[in-house]
Amino acid sequence: MAVSCLTRALRSLTLSQPALLSSQTKLGTQVSSTVAQCRGFLTTASLENNRTYWKEREKYTVKPIGMKKTGGRDYTGRIRTHGIGGGHKQKYRWIDFQRLRYEPNKEAKPFDEKVVEVRYDPCRSADIALVAGGNRKRWIIATEKMQAGDVIKTSAVIGRMAVAANEGDAYPLGALPIGTLVNNLEVKPGKGAEYIRAAGTCGILLRKVNGTAIVQLPSKQQVQVLETCMVTVGRVSNVDHNKRIIGKAGRNRWLGIRPSSGLWQRKGGWAGRKIKLLPPMKSYVNLPSISAN
Amino acid sequence: MFPETAQRLKAAAPLVSQTRLLKDLCRSCPHGGPFSLQARRQISVSGCLSAKIPPPKKPREPVEIPGLEMVTYGERMHFVPGLAKPSYPRWERDYKDPRFYTAPPAQEMPLYKEKPCYVFNQRTSALEGVRQAAWLTKAKVIRGLPPHLLSLAENPENQIPDQDERVQNAIKHARFWDTTQERPRKEKYSNTLLLNLLHLCATLQSRNPALGRRILAEDHSLAATWTRGEDLFQIRGRNGLLQNSMDPLPEASGKDEVSETANYVLETFYPVSPTIDLQQINVYKEDVNCSGFTGNYPYPHAHTLYFLETIHSCKLHPEQFRAKMAMFMFGNALARAHKLYGTEPQQLLDRPITVQAVGTNGRIFQFLVFQLNTTDLSGDDGIKNQLWLEEDVELYDFAKVRPLIKKKQVKVPAGLTGYKPEVFTKFLSLYLHGAA
Repeated sequence: MAVSCLTRALRSLTLSQPALLSSQTKLGTQVSSTVAQCRGFLTTASLENNRTYWKEREKYTVKPIGMKKTGGRDYTGRIRTHGIGGGHKQKYRWIDFQRLRYEPNKEAKPFDEKVVEVRYDPCRSADIALVAGGNRKRWIIATEKMQAGDVIKTSAVIGRMAVAANEGDAYPLGALPIGTLVNNLEVKPGKGAEYIRAAGTCGILLRKVNGTAIVQLPSKQQVQVLETCMVTVGRVSNVDHNKRIIGKAGRNRWLGIRPSSGLWQRKGGWAGRKIKLLPPMKSYVNLPSISAN
Repeated sequence: MFPETAQRLKAAAPLVSQTRLLKDLCRSCPHGGPFSLQARRQISVSGCLSAKIPPPKKPREPVEIPGLEMVTYGERMHFVPGLAKPSYPRWERDYKDPRFYTAPPAQEMPLYKEKPCYVFNQRTSALEGVRQAAWLTKAKVIRGLPPHLLSLAENPENQIPDQDERVQNAIKHARFWDTTQERPRKEKYSNTLLLNLLHLCATLQSRNPALGRRILAEDHSLAATWTRGEDLFQIRGRNGLLQNSMDPLPEASGKDEVSETANYVLETFYPVSPTIDLQQINVYKEDVNCSGFTGNYPYPHAHTLYFLETIHSCKLHPEQFRAKMAMFMFGNALARAHKLYGTEPQQLLDRPITVQAVGTNGRIFQFLVFQLNTTDLSGDDGIKNQLWLEEDVELYDFAKVRPLIKKKQVKVPAGLTGYKPEVFTKFLSLYLHGAA
């Protein structure tokens, strides 16, 4: 295909009369100048091949979606991350990380949902739970003691008194007592959970200051976020995930992990135990500047 | 020449410097002299030869200022820089061509309504199963079939000579003999088994001539509408096998039991709403009530529905399968009631309409009997309908083509094992109900 593009482009060079070229490459990287007949041509293979078309579904669905594996290759087609490839076929279950999502055509009030099923997810270390509430069903990350038949609550109300939260419920940080174990932390309100989602992890709510709350992440890093950010209470499911023994090389291959290079490589400054101070607290709160200039 | 150039360019693209490439190109072109200068000016090869595809640019939205007429290049018939792009009205074909028909959006369809309607079709898998079906049909669920129904087949007059042996032969035919391959597939054997059992029951026609006033129908389209609370519900779809009869089924329960159901409280399942898993549509016809047959069909009364579990597109769990059976029984009864008594909701029907259903997957049977007492389904109080349910009865334990051998011991022998005769008596009694 590159050859045909090339030949077409080069053939234009042989024309004695200038003629307007029709667009030949899919990309059309350079606009043809009014004078000459040569546009830039592509010498690599078509770049369209490495797009993730399977991800482009707009409507939420509970049905598992077929996934295409990348093998560690990026959009150029070259390996960007080594050691990924093969493994059992997996279907992607679309997890709704934004726990506080009201049903369309319903009021913005605290609501309950019932856990229908807790199951294994091949795409992550934690287990996932199918919850049904009102007219819709969705997948969420299951917490430690979640079982089929439980009723979990989601509320956005921050009262004066801290709520005695049950495991699996979702509240804003301002409504929880300090010292609660939390997971699925949102750092920007409404964006969806991005932190503390792995199996067995939990953060600790350390302090509440003005309109913000400080949470300690599993890496002992502390993070300051607005108190309206939603968070679920409890530890993430599949607590013994880090105690599992792979047992054989084949099991790693089933997980899609290719062997690393067997050569001995001198370890650099990155290796070895590091003892250093914790990084400073990261703040995701955009405080208005005091000086109004 | 061209393949050489192409290969050289491909291989050397990111590594080679610009001047080298240009020299190669000039060498390769057939014309010399003045052309090469042109080429040198126009060929520009930048260093990066693989770019991320930029996201599709949204075209600039044309701003419309009322009163201001845009000068477009439409009249000049060619692009002129500086003039606006002309906008033409959408071209519609003046004749109707079914190959190029695009459906209008839902809001523009003639049957569009603001209020959504929840439709139960044959592919629906209700999350809460029979409880959801009972809430939707305002029915009281009773475990176990009505006792007078079961006593029908106990009567020795109503039994087939050599009943057990013939039923076992029927099972063996369906499971073992009806194929040229090693074993028949599930869809095939469940269908064959059902037809064999129906044939066996029909052999009693010599003793009960009333059994001849029935006919089987397959895949008829059912439609029924009702309101429940504030929501509109419809059931639409193609049933399984339906047995129609000229005479209606007698009532399964007396008037006292019917009036007792008024005290029964329907089971709700908060926080799940009863409309979950139903198809929500805004384009529908109001008040569709179609039993699947025209007005002067000689067998108007639905007697028994036979459901087979295996359809590849929609595999249902047993609970959801029972819910589907219950909903379709209700749909048939409601369509009949609307035809007899009109579409106005009635508190208590003079003659309650009874429909039966049998569902099977080839081995396990589900028996249901539904009695429609009221069409006033909008409120949760008042007289309820009744649903008798007998779930998961096994006709036989194993029907193995090859014996199951574990550690050199035969655990399950080949052939039919664990036959239970009482299941066929229930099947027979449901069949004979109304005629014997």
